[in-house]
Amino acid sequence: MTLLRMFAVQTKMHFVWYFRRDGEMMFWTLAMPVFFLVLFSFAFSDGPNARSSSFLVPGIIGAQVLSSGFWGIGVMLATFREKHLLRRVYLTPMPPWVFFASLVTYRIALLATQAIILIAAGGLIFHVRITGNPLEILAILVLGTATFVSLGTIIGALARTTESANNIASVLTVPLAFLSDAYVPIDRFPHAVAATLRLLPSTQFIDTFRDVAIGGAALSHYGAWLAVLGLWTFAGMAISARTFRWV
Amino acid sequence: MEQAIVVEQLVKRYGKLTAVDGISFAVPRGTIFGLLGRNGAGKTTTLECCIGIGQPASGSVRVLGLDPTRPRDLARLRPRIGVQLQTTSLPEKANVREVLELYAAYYGIRTQPQAMAARVGLDGKLDRQVGQMSGGEQQRLALALALQHDPEVLFLDEPSAGMDAFGRRILFAEVERLRAAGKTIVLTTHYIEEAERLSDRICMIQRGRIVAQATAAELVAQFGGDATVSIVADGFAPAALDGLGTWTQTGGQWNLATRGEPGLALAAIVTQANAMGAKIASLDLHRPTLEDAFVAITGETLAETE
Repeated sequence: MTLLRMFAVQTKMHFVWYFRRDGEMMFWTLAMPVFFLVLFSFAFSDGPNARSSSFLVPGIIGAQVLSSGFWGIGVMLATFREKHLLRRVYLTPMPPWVFFASLVTYRIALLATQAIILIAAGGLIFHVRITGNPLEILAILVLGTATFVSLGTIIGALARTTESANNIASVLTVPLAFLSDAYVPIDRFPHAVAATLRLLPSTQFIDTFRDVAIGGAALSHYGAWLAVLGLWTFAGMAISARTFRWV
Repeated sequence: MEQAIVVEQLVKRYGKLTAVDGISFAVPRGTIFGLLGRNGAGKTTTLECCIGIGQPASGSVRVLGLDPTRPRDLARLRPRIGVQLQTTSLPEKANVREVLELYAAYYGIRTQPQAMAARVGLDGKLDRQVGQMSGGEQQRLALALALQHDPEVLFLDEPSAGMDAFGRRILFAEVERLRAAGKTIVLTTHYIEEAERLSDRICMIQRGRIVAQATAAELVAQFGGDATVSIVADGFAPAALDGLGTWTQTGGQWNLATRGEPGLALAAIVTQANAMGAKIASLDLHRPTLEDAFVAITGETLAETE
């Protein structure tokens, strides 16, 4: 009961302090992904059509999952530590995992909002149809989020300052968005390059998500990739748990 | 008397730097213990070891009989202690009401934000965001977070840092209230006045070691030196006043390090000056202060470039 209240109030405060009162954050979260969808829909085809948009809607959602993990969790944790906020929270009876869980819950709520907005915009403007099994779509999104939250937490654990966390997150997020089949189809790269890029967990996650959501593929066809994503998640958790410092 | 806190031979290192070098003290329940020293003397590090931040290299700490270096003990200790850190930075967009509400949730208590805010002089500022508050107001909010759950032991790290006269008055009144309620308090400070006014016992720390530990009165009596009387008076000479203490002369001023009660010396000096027809230009009595004791003990002044 007490834990539940801590969790609920903390999650609400994350939302109020870092989202509702932060106009920049609201803009980046709500408007930018749609802006990218429209921009790239035109940029990568002769005109807006369902094919390029169908590629982009899951791609951009996937890229948001990545940046949520790297920025929303990783950089946030490093900032909290640098500002001695983690230290202050550590001195209270709230178990650290409740704080972490509330941060992740807040980011998942934002991600869900972004996904709904992108799917709605894709459907209304570009006639993108989500044909996959909703439960399977949800399952791959949950796994992908777990993977990149877990990897993002490593940034939060290893970076000593906000600045270095920012640098690490930028170095990861920006190239990965373009090399992981999110905004640009990697089929256009030479075969060997594309094959190599398919070893990235980000590519495996985004491709699986797209194939299930748009292509109507069954999640069970991607067992190997799902297992690999699970391994990344586990590795990230193990490394974070060993290296994370609250104070 | 039951001890709320017992620290024995505490050593804490940061790399090659030994921040705390064998500190021992005990704080009886219901008393206020002041750690006094310059910045960097090891006060904050000592306090942090008591609240479970950082592992000591050696030595032991017990707070309410619990060992803050052991996770299980620390979990049991947390609800029973309140902490005001020097560097508490609360989220800029958070307002006073929300911070109080959140911390009430951490401790599983009901919050009365209005009453709590009033207690630390933030009445009428419940909707003020941290980013719009002065440093002193933020410190008072941090104090409220240490108090709100009515802990048995409070740790206040430089509680008045950044506070104006109003803030200090609130802080001092709150400490008196906690004293009356039988709480145990450990506070660090580099202000003599704060240490003297608030603490039952003062522990002077220099370069990670305790250099003196007693009540303020004892420290002054033991280390403060003699009361001195200085007189500037044309035609005055302390002839026949040797019995009062030791006389020295600087320029036109005579200084007496008194041996007995300085009031008697003053009377004798005035009588003599009048008898000699000397006109008194100035006459000062300086009784030893805690600051004199600090200087005598550490060879340093507390005042730093601020």
